[in-house]
Amino acid sequence: MVQVVFSPKWFWGKDIFIDSIALLVLLSIAIFATKYYWIKKSRNYLYLALSFYLIALSFFSKILINFTIYYQVLHTQIIGSMTYTQTILKSSEIFAVSGLFFYRFFTLLGLFMLYSIYEKQSKANIILMVYFILISIFFSKEEYYLFYLTSLILLGIISNRYYQNYRKNKSKASGMLAASFSIITLSQVFFMLVSITKHFYVAGEIMQLIGYTVLLTAFITVLKHGREKNKG
Amino acid sequence: MEGKRTRVDIIGDMLSSIVSKGGQIKPTHLMYKSNMSHGQMKTYIDDLVQKELIKKVKKNDFDYVIITNKGHEFLQKLREMKEFEKAFGL
Repeated sequence: MVQVVFSPKWFWGKDIFIDSIALLVLLSIAIFATKYYWIKKSRNYLYLALSFYLIALSFFSKILINFTIYYQVLHTQIIGSMTYTQTILKSSEIFAVSGLFFYRFFTLLGLFMLYSIYEKQSKANIILMVYFILISIFFSKEEYYLFYLTSLILLGIISNRYYQNYRKNKSKASGMLAASFSIITLSQVFFMLVSITKHFYVAGEIMQLIGYTVLLTAFITVLKHGREKNKG
Repeated sequence: MEGKRTRVDIIGDMLSSIVSKGGQIKPTHLMYKSNMSHGQMKTYIDDLVQKELIKKVKKNDFDYVIITNKGHEFLQKLREMKEFEKAFGL
């Protein structure tokens, strides 16, 4: 049986709200990186934009799955018909399982692309990594934590990269960026522990919310700093 | 770390040089401040005038280059980009 619902019932909807915030933050950064790409035509901007679009797309898939499941389960409760409930759950499960695949695939692909900006990859490496990503998603169907473990590793490496960057230039924005990615990395640990209690899912979502809020603050700091310099 | 200046870097340096001189500068000063050859600067000035980022004016028989509002906005975008690159380590 594939686990698709990780949230405790009282948290339904609140997690969608948190994921929507993450989606908006990721999209804002992706849109700006796209604009910058058109000005400078630098590949790094393009890859950064693409990786953020992919992660945003993964959140969109997650929101869509959760919204459908929560709404349909609630809907069947109101109707209260056994036959109808079964049909609805079956169709929503197929949707959820395929949605979950896209959510995981886009997340890992986006993170790998972000990682590749800093650690240049050969074509063979890219093919190999996409294969490993697919394998990890395949096994995550039964052992869901494998997906979070893979995210944790990729996010950990990226966070460390941002921390090294902060140590080098000591700028406020790069410090916040490193902090935000570290918090998001930590949230993966909570998600891995969901099988113990669903409260870990709530903790993971809250950590994620904090992480994306710090990421947004870092992004605003970048824009503000650019404007301040222009006044001088 | 500091490699060859890109086209966008050169434009950024030119616009910054104009701003640092209060929004207007003589072409020769601009050439020295932006570290460019005469031919290179002429091409860039023509391009920036065409894009309406700067204007060429004459004051007391001297040629001046002044930055436009569009130029200010573009410079702001370039500075944002620089901060963005610094933050993300691009």
